[in-house]
Amino acid sequence: MASRRSPAEIALSAGVLVLGLATAAATLMLPGEGGYAKIGPNFMPGVVAAGLVACGLWLLYEVVGGGWRARPSDDPAERGDHAFHAPGFFWVSAGLGAHLVLIGFAGFVVAGACLFAGVARGFGSARVARDLALGAVISLAVFLFFVRFLNVNLPAGWLAPLLGSAGI
Amino acid sequence: METLNALLTGFDVALKPLNLLWGFIGVTLGTAVGVLPGVGPALTVAMLLPLTVKLDPTGALIMFAGIYYGAMFGGSTTTILLNTPGESASIATALEGNRMAKAGRAGPALATSAIGSFVAGSIATVLLTVLAPLVVDVALKFGPAEYFALMVFAFTTVAAVLGESTVRGLTSLCLGLLLGLVGIDSQTGAPRFAFGVPELLDGIDVVVLAVGLFAVGEALYVAAYQSRLTGTLERLSGSLMMSKEDWKRSWPAWLRGTAFGFPFGSIPAGGAEIPTFLSYSTEKKLAKDPAAFGHGAIEGVAGPEAANNAAATGTLVPLLTLGIPTSATAAILLGAFQNYGIQPGPLLFQSQSELVWGLIASLYIGNVMLLVLNLPLIGIWVKVLRIPRDRLYAGILVFATLGAYSLHQSWVDLLTLYVFGLLGFAMRRWGIPVAPAVIGLILGPLAETQFRRALSISQGDASVFFTHPIAASFLALTALLIVAPWVVRRLRRASA
Repeated sequence: MASRRSPAEIALSAGVLVLGLATAAATLMLPGEGGYAKIGPNFMPGVVAAGLVACGLWLLYEVVGGGWRARPSDDPAERGDHAFHAPGFFWVSAGLGAHLVLIGFAGFVVAGACLFAGVARGFGSARVARDLALGAVISLAVFLFFVRFLNVNLPAGWLAPLLGSAGI
Repeated sequence: METLNALLTGFDVALKPLNLLWGFIGVTLGTAVGVLPGVGPALTVAMLLPLTVKLDPTGALIMFAGIYYGAMFGGSTTTILLNTPGESASIATALEGNRMAKAGRAGPALATSAIGSFVAGSIATVLLTVLAPLVVDVALKFGPAEYFALMVFAFTTVAAVLGESTVRGLTSLCLGLLLGLVGIDSQTGAPRFAFGVPELLDGIDVVVLAVGLFAVGEALYVAAYQSRLTGTLERLSGSLMMSKEDWKRSWPAWLRGTAFGFPFGSIPAGGAEIPTFLSYSTEKKLAKDPAAFGHGAIEGVAGPEAANNAAATGTLVPLLTLGIPTSATAAILLGAFQNYGIQPGPLLFQSQSELVWGLIASLYIGNVMLLVLNLPLIGIWVKVLRIPRDRLYAGILVFATLGAYSLHQSWVDLLTLYVFGLLGFAMRRWGIPVAPAVIGLILGPLAETQFRRALSISQGDASVFFTHPIAASFLALTALLIVAPWVVRRLRRASA
């Protein structure tokens, strides 16, 4: 527990402070007239900006004083975790990214299959084809259920000819 | 008498076949998400919100409430068999329950937690029935100043008092409040912090925030830090029956647990962790054989599980009567009400009395369903626990993105979702609580409305918050809660 001035703590504390200052700057551009209450739409944003700035300063003060109080250990083993596994983080993000890009034109089912396979890969699955197929089946079931029974609008995309008028 | 009549009308509503079905779906889903690691009731209700806007509000809310307390039942199964407490309120159960399972007594551990949850849930529902109309009578006298003071009190307890760090709790709260400001100001119509993005003019939806923090953030964290850990699932062997001795040791613990849980849940100080730990330490103190604790003492499962469930039901008191959520799940339930254009609070009991009493009546029925679901059918849930984690999280994210996307059919919501996921990852990694952010997002705009309304009435005179006795006492209490721990620490240091 020697002096541990972690870069992450400094970055997060400074981030809160900067967010507070940015909020304050944006608040200055809001209208202030308030009718009977004598305060306008800019009052609460001002309070929140002040709160964020105060929290940022307080966090920085804790960093200077030896680090945030009672926060999770930097040693993964002490938290009950294993060391940071970058591919896990990457594949989950990739799945979400592919889904975001694909859903608009390729449709819900195709995007869902890619998302499923990406996340499964991130959790250590090596069977991409099986995951794609499983993801497609689950997404298709979800699609049909929500579109037919709950009237939720979901894009059919490339599968529109097969799914007929079920989607949009 | 009036309450009894209202409750009977409520049973008429709750016993309609369709509402019974929604209730059953709710408690079943709730048990499932309670059992599954990585999915909680807050996330489940949030994912379902955009998909259920076209349903009848009564049925949908009965389902959501079922998910909420069903998850409390299901959570104990995972805790006992897998020793991974799904939520902080189950940590106390994990201490003894998993030891019992390791010793081959998983059956009685599951039984005492299911029956204890049933007993506590039922008693707490009776207390809710009796208490709610009384709170409503008081709350009807509240004006905007009182409401604002009460909300400040709730913010403070949730953010500053309950967590590990006051400043990190407050940071999370401020973040939620900031996100709550995005969109069109409800009083003047002025856009705030939308930067011309049409999706932002609608405001940040609680669904995107909750699903981002809880589902995407959790998936990122587990994939990065826990994907290669393997838990050992204890076998459910032998009988579920509790022996006479088990019963004798369990029932006083259930009652004491309920007595701890309900008050903590119902005062706007939320959180089920404190009562479960209080219950655990009390049982340890009162036990004839305290040495058994740490080696699978049944009281240590019975008490905390009862406390946990009673607290969950207790949080419905401030939610329904005052419109004040004191947990992340309650905040999302409040979002569910708002989705249907209903504002919980004292007026709800008059304007929507069928809905609110139907909901309360459904809690009695749901508790019975849950007892059946969790005892004779326990084998099914043990099978659910065997779903491989890669496919489980993949499936969760398919549903999570579905909920967010169906809000506006826009990829912007999916991008926001991922950004909140990164935020959730960072918050989990560096110990910043997420519940205050969710509560801030939901309750912030309501608090602002009350604040400005109070000042409109007083023509801009801020002294209303100090001259109205109820408002002043809540604010004084809030100040005390923040200052007291600091003063105590100083005094202790001075005397040392």
